[in-house]
Amino acid sequence: MGEEGQLISCHTVDAWNQHIRKDNNKLIVVDFAASWCGPCRVIAPFVAELAKKMPHVTFLKVDVDELKEIASDWGVEAMPTFLLLKDEKTVAKVVGAKKEELQQTIIKHSGSTSG
Amino acid sequence: MAVSGFEGFEKRLELQFSGRDPVIGIGLRELDFKSLEQVLHQVQCTVVSALGNQHFDSYVLSESSLFVYPNKIIIKTCGTTQLLKSVQPFINHARTLNLRIVALRYTRGSFIFPEAQPHPHTSFHEEVVYLEDNIPEHLCYRKASVIPSKLTSHSWHVFSAGAVEYPDGVPYTVEMCMTDLDQTLARKFFRHPNDGKNGDSAGREMTELTGISRININPNAHICDFAFDPCGYSMNGIDGDRYSTIHVTPEHGFSYASFECVGSVYNADIADMVKKAVKVFCPGTVSVATTNASDDMCMRIKGAVEQLGMKCRSWSMDEFPAAGTVVFQTFTTRRNIRT
Repeated sequence: MGEEGQLISCHTVDAWNQHIRKDNNKLIVVDFAASWCGPCRVIAPFVAELAKKMPHVTFLKVDVDELKEIASDWGVEAMPTFLLLKDEKTVAKVVGAKKEELQQTIIKHSGSTSG
Repeated sequence: MAVSGFEGFEKRLELQFSGRDPVIGIGLRELDFKSLEQVLHQVQCTVVSALGNQHFDSYVLSESSLFVYPNKIIIKTCGTTQLLKSVQPFINHARTLNLRIVALRYTRGSFIFPEAQPHPHTSFHEEVVYLEDNIPEHLCYRKASVIPSKLTSHSWHVFSAGAVEYPDGVPYTVEMCMTDLDQTLARKFFRHPNDGKNGDSAGREMTELTGISRININPNAHICDFAFDPCGYSMNGIDGDRYSTIHVTPEHGFSYASFECVGSVYNADIADMVKKAVKVFCPGTVSVATTNASDDMCMRIKGAVEQLGMKCRSWSMDEFPAAGTVVFQTFTTRRNIRT
């Protein structure tokens, strides 16, 4: 799978649906960000690094302007918002550029002991 | 009073910009993180956490907070940071975005440990000289003043400079400083060793346990919080286009907490927020400085603090170009009439 270890950008509703409905038992981490939001830029390199270090987790990136309805449907109000999904359900949420919190929460839900 | 310790009293800088285009768009929010980090490095602080919404970006720093609006920067730092060194870099970076500074306001209380401060913060006089040397000529309406209170340890220092004399439709700000915190309440801002938490989750817990989460009753408001090791706490609240911020230095001997928020004529809840914030810390002394607030709002804030059993010791004011009226009030608990 060429997508492992990478942050996958979802540009369309179809791409979004395709990725979150993938039935492979993987934890999905969605990074809801905006191009005009400074805090999103702060944590972006860290998220890319996490994606590389944790190929057993799927990392998706959604631009809240590009996919307004999806951001709204999933209750995104402030940025960055990270949703952790399993079976299309939210198992955890991290709101803000919180590196330690994000890493620890992903580790907790991905069933791995290191990141 | 301890011989020396961490300086909780912050230095605050607010820079207003405007552009040639009537619609500024994202303005200063366009500044890339590397540029921001460079400025923060000069001030000797770093970003610890951050959160943004459609109106502005907020950053929790290792030594307080930074807020970036399309046309305004607010930076508040404590300890021995050299905050004024950020003036020139911010003005220069804004220029690259075709934004021009139109107003500047620098405020601070009285340092608990003034001898520990580095240049140019060794005295207000030195700070004013530094500012006069580092701001552009077109900010021609300038004034520096120290507003006194009956407590020698609590004065309010203001330097204001602007391109126009009277501010237009500017929201008012409330800057509250609390000292001599109740020690039982202050202990809630210490990390527990081996708590299995990180700074973010420990901060979240402090926000809930201390009642800080209930200061703003708007359920759509968001809080970005952080707990420092071994103690200390910071939070930024974002609520539409309004920010609030709290910083705590809990150690006995130099305990300090600040609460700051912004309001407009449409927000009747400010006095209530001030009251709730004081209740979190039960301090021995409170000072509240409002900039550009109506007399009515100042009276409401006074009433709110007095409702907690504190006595108003002083009410002073001064007028500043480009900033408006600054009212400075101090309160102490009835048991505590210290200078």
